[in-house]
Amino acid sequence: MALDFSFLDKFQTAFALGLWMTIRITVVCVILGTALGFLTGLARTSRSRILRGVATAYVDVFRGTPVLIQLFWIFFCLPLILGTEPPNFVSACIALTLYMGAITSESFRSSLRQVGREQMDACVALGLPPRARILNVILPQAVLRAIPPLLSNAISLFKESALVSAVGVADLMFVGQNISNNTAKPVEVLTFVALVYFVIAFPLTRLVSLVERKMLRKIAA
Amino acid sequence: MDYALDIGAVTRNLDKLWEGLFVTLQLTIAANVIGVIAGFLLALIVLSPYKVLSWLATLFVEFFRCAPAIVQIVWFFYCVPMLFNVWLDPITMGVMALGLNLTAFNAEAYRASIQAVPKEHLDAGIALGLSPVQRVRHIVQPQALRASVPVLLTNGIGTFQQSALVAIVGVADLMYQGKLVATETYRPIETFTVVALVYLAISLPVAQIVGWIERRHGTA
Repeated sequence: MALDFSFLDKFQTAFALGLWMTIRITVVCVILGTALGFLTGLARTSRSRILRGVATAYVDVFRGTPVLIQLFWIFFCLPLILGTEPPNFVSACIALTLYMGAITSESFRSSLRQVGREQMDACVALGLPPRARILNVILPQAVLRAIPPLLSNAISLFKESALVSAVGVADLMFVGQNISNNTAKPVEVLTFVALVYFVIAFPLTRLVSLVERKMLRKIAA
Repeated sequence: MDYALDIGAVTRNLDKLWEGLFVTLQLTIAANVIGVIAGFLLALIVLSPYKVLSWLATLFVEFFRCAPAIVQIVWFFYCVPMLFNVWLDPITMGVMALGLNLTAFNAEAYRASIQAVPKEHLDAGIALGLSPVQRVRHIVQPQALRASVPVLLTNGIGTFQQSALVAIVGVADLMYQGKLVATETYRPIETFTVVALVYLAISLPVAQIVGWIERRHGTA
């Protein structure tokens, strides 16, 4: 069959609006989700058993279930519990922020653990007060180590955001599927959509490996 | 909230959910068989000295890793029949789409662990007079396979979760049946919670095993 991509030109605005929605959801959820993940990571190291239990259960549930069912839950069940229906954009952001919080908390936790015990022992030997141990020694190293995995988490979220199309949020994937159904040209339209995601995500993954190498050198030095 | 929970909506439709779970498990297992085997072969091609082959294989891996899984699945279901004029049953299509995606992720896992085999071990192999094939067979392969097990398991469970996406293209998996039951009974809270718990009950033990293996090898 002959492929002709030129008709996609007509849908420029629609694609741009869809992509804008994808980017907005990604940015909002990356910021809120990373903050939530940091707090969750702290809660998981807390002395309170209850806090630790709640945080661990939250992370396990959101990492152990498909993102699609999380979205469905927020879209179909939350309105019944709240008694009102939040706007689609808000529901999508709630679901993906909760997911992002769960995956970033793991990144924070493992980077905290990578800072060796010796560092803490050295602080004690040097007689540093507890505040300085955390703020000046442990935290800076942990945050540096957390940057590459957090960037990877952000890229994952960008990809997962395509799922909101299944609950009717007009993101890039949703727009693509609509145009594909209306023009009956799925090959051209869906290939184009896939390429747009690839063209954005691929350079970001390269950036992550670059940052990772730089960080490793910095930590080794 | 004025919503009385009624778990009967779920228990009356357990047979549908069972059927769905069976399809989900079929998809997961078949895609993993493809991913574990084809992923290793693809990693070998990525690392092969033939530049063109290696570049094509890398492009394949990067494409499947960088485009959203749902786009891949929708693409596969709409475009493969049109492009190649083949009509397969939906489960086979689902297995192929999920299998290709997993192949790319597993290839990356194998590549990383093959490259992590210390260079000295290969030098030792040369010093001992082993042939290139013997070096791969007895030095690289055992170490690389063992090192990649935790990532393969994590990817495998990732595919189990991703398999829920085939519900969007109408494959009657657990997610699809769950949505059907939720719509038919008007009981989304009960149904989606039970479905989520089923996914969790299968993912969590595997994740625990991965954690246990990593701790034993001191890599976490």
